[in-house]
Amino acid sequence: MNTALLLAIGGLTAVGLYLLTSRSLSRIVLGYSLLGHATVVALITAGGRAGWPPIAGRAAPEDMSNPLPQALTLTAIVISFGLTLFLLALARRQRTLSGDDLVEDDLEDRRIAAVESAPTEPEDSVAT
Amino acid sequence: MIFGLLVLHIAVCLLLAYAGRRLGRGSLLVGAVPPALSALWGAARLGASPPATADLTWVRGLDLAMTFRVDAFAAVMTLIVSGIGVLIFVYAFGYFGPGTAHTGRFATTLLAFSTSMLGLVWADSVWTLFVFWELTSVTSFLLVGHKSTDTEVLAAARRALMVTAGGGLVLLAGLLLVTGAADTTLISELAPVDGTAATVGAVLVMIAAATKSAQVPFHPWLPGAMVAPTPVSAYLHAATMVKAGVVLVAVAGPALSGISAWKGCGLAFGVASIVWGGLGALRHRDAKLILAWGTVSQLGMLITLFSVGTPAAVLAAVSLLVAHALFKGALFLIVGEIDVRAGTRHIDELGGLARSMPVAFAAAVLAGLSMAGAPPLLGFVAKETAIKAALELTGPEAWVVGLGVIGGSVLTVAYTFRFLVAVFGPGPETPLSPRRHALSVPPAVLAVGGIAAFAVLGWVDAVLEPAAVRLSGGAEVEHLHRWPGLEPALAISAVVLVIGAIVGLALGGRPGQAPADHAGRWTDASIDGIVAFGRATVARVQHGSLPVYLVTMAAVATLAATPFLADISLDHLVGWHTPLQGVLAAAAVGAAVALCWVDTRLGAGLALGAAGITVAAVFVIHGAPDLALTQLLVEAAIVVGFVLAFGHLSRSFPMTGLRWRAVRITVAGLGGVAVVIGLGAASGNPVGAPPVAELAAASVGEGGGSNIVNVILTDIRGLDTLGEVLVLATVALGVQALARATVGTESSAS
Repeated sequence: MNTALLLAIGGLTAVGLYLLTSRSLSRIVLGYSLLGHATVVALITAGGRAGWPPIAGRAAPEDMSNPLPQALTLTAIVISFGLTLFLLALARRQRTLSGDDLVEDDLEDRRIAAVESAPTEPEDSVAT
Repeated sequence: MIFGLLVLHIAVCLLLAYAGRRLGRGSLLVGAVPPALSALWGAARLGASPPATADLTWVRGLDLAMTFRVDAFAAVMTLIVSGIGVLIFVYAFGYFGPGTAHTGRFATTLLAFSTSMLGLVWADSVWTLFVFWELTSVTSFLLVGHKSTDTEVLAAARRALMVTAGGGLVLLAGLLLVTGAADTTLISELAPVDGTAATVGAVLVMIAAATKSAQVPFHPWLPGAMVAPTPVSAYLHAATMVKAGVVLVAVAGPALSGISAWKGCGLAFGVASIVWGGLGALRHRDAKLILAWGTVSQLGMLITLFSVGTPAAVLAAVSLLVAHALFKGALFLIVGEIDVRAGTRHIDELGGLARSMPVAFAAAVLAGLSMAGAPPLLGFVAKETAIKAALELTGPEAWVVGLGVIGGSVLTVAYTFRFLVAVFGPGPETPLSPRRHALSVPPAVLAVGGIAAFAVLGWVDAVLEPAAVRLSGGAEVEHLHRWPGLEPALAISAVVLVIGAIVGLALGGRPGQAPADHAGRWTDASIDGIVAFGRATVARVQHGSLPVYLVTMAAVATLAATPFLADISLDHLVGWHTPLQGVLAAAAVGAAVALCWVDTRLGAGLALGAAGITVAAVFVIHGAPDLALTQLLVEAAIVVGFVLAFGHLSRSFPMTGLRWRAVRITVAGLGGVAVVIGLGAASGNPVGAPPVAELAAASVGEGGGSNIVNVILTDIRGLDTLGEVLVLATVALGVQALARATVGTESSAS
């Protein structure tokens, strides 16, 4: 396997994860995009060495790069494109509603945590 | 037939769940139909061989199958579960007066329990057994908590669920170990096992059986569960569900009895429960609690006998199992009738019932004498066989079992006489409400069953002997005798009866205080502790911060990658195929890092574009022009979208705390390392050269195109690509809807 590309995959994943754990929705989108890059590079790197474009008749089959992972990668690029666009649309809506792009804490979880840590009569307060 | 009966049970269950409210009390009679049919089928299969089997394979390779096998023992259990089930449904019809609320729900749950119990005794695959085991725990919880408005009832239901379901988890672990050691998941194919794993597994299975069968120290849930309606107590907590643990010990016995820890554990649980349960039954003053503590003692006797595992002990256990279902079921139902008609079941408030309830009194005497082991009743035969089996043992085992069985018998006789005297004995006459036939007939049937079984003991023996043979691994088993002859066992029995009767009669009329429920309080306190621990954990891990959730998940996934570190093989790694790849790799990572440093959104968008274009260049070098083209197009669209979505925001990103950022950087860095490890390990295991030549030939010959990647996408896996197009179309619709809603909000706001 190609070590240079392997390290690039690791680097892109690390930066992508870092951005994904941010509170700003725009950085989350950036991180998501970078993770997508890391994935597609991983797919073709795992597929084998570099070679001539896999177009029949232009090169001998043994000199071609592996076409199968390329087909899978194409799907991956397109789907992650679609999801990124959807995320962007959600972020834009969030901005319109709240004027900002910060991810708030999950209020439902916070409420449960507050109730669960309260010492008295938890069953009743959960039920209400 | 097996599946037919199960499906019928489930279908009627669904029908009752749907129409129970309209049917009201009548749903109890409808619910009695499926148990009646399976009881008839069980009766027809008594003693029959070969066993009836049925299975339904779900996942072949994983051994996941619903496997049932009704052998001689399962047929006996079927008759107990379904036969007593029918009587319980009829009894419940009388127990809940006309107009009682929620009888439809009660009938549904009771039938669901009956179905689960049948599945449990029919199961051959241990996983089938486990599923039905858990179902009986859940339905028992629902039935105990039937009066769901009472806090005492809810606490008892919770206690029963936590102890039995906790035992279920132990059972799962034990079954995994035992089936792993035995290399089969079918109970009928379990061969004797040994070894450390099997020993640990056997002990876990025994503990699970002890939780379900309310053995000391897990017993407090059973007396607690007496807050349930009486039909439930008689059915679940005397005749059937508490027998599940005993059944488990019985069917696993042939395979596990060679393990000394299995036998040791079983004897410890059993003998402790015989003694402690018997003492409890002598001290309590609520008639129902007396019976419940007596059940703990009797279950201890059954666990003891099955753990001993000699053919004689197994035969004694099987006959005691049947006798106990008959007499204890009857006694519970009688107490329920007293409870309904007198409005109390406290022995201090009852009196003169021998005269005012003659049928119940006669039935109670019959059942009680069978429980005490007096002739001419089935209980006598069972007890004689048990004492004889204990006398046959040698070594320390003989002392433990002998003292347990004989001492337990004395206690049993004593609490039986105390019960009869205290409940039916002299005293100011208790006022009663009118008689209901549905309440008095079922216990009478069960009580007469004990004497009838003695009368036709030859037939009973023909039925129980094959069951005992099956449960002692095919060994030769003796027969049951109506009259054992002048033997030591008979002398011991006589002495036991005399001593027990004297103690019982002496204690019968004595006033006193019921003992405090220390064990129950400890159980509840430990359950409270578990629940508090659960709450604290939830409050800690479910804090609501999405970034922290993500960091936690990434950290756990990283840990999962560490084992692959050893699989990386340096032979399969090369630096690069062309030096340009190294340059591009550095550029891609550089662009990504720059993206973190840039603190304006516009700059970040541009850096993202730079990273994407570098990836496109990687595709070009790799020999993937289609990917490069697509990547360039997509990247341009995303950068534009990013600017459109965020361009208007305040320019810089918000700052976060330094410590939190350090955690994120660490976890993210380790995550990157984990991906490198995983991929590096995967590359050490190549599966051969890619089939490029075949794909090229297929693409020209069949696909009619020379661009292999395109032919794969549009022809070879064209349907997938169609799905992909649909995904994109859906996204487009979603984006458009979101964008439009935004515009609408803005225009209405302005």
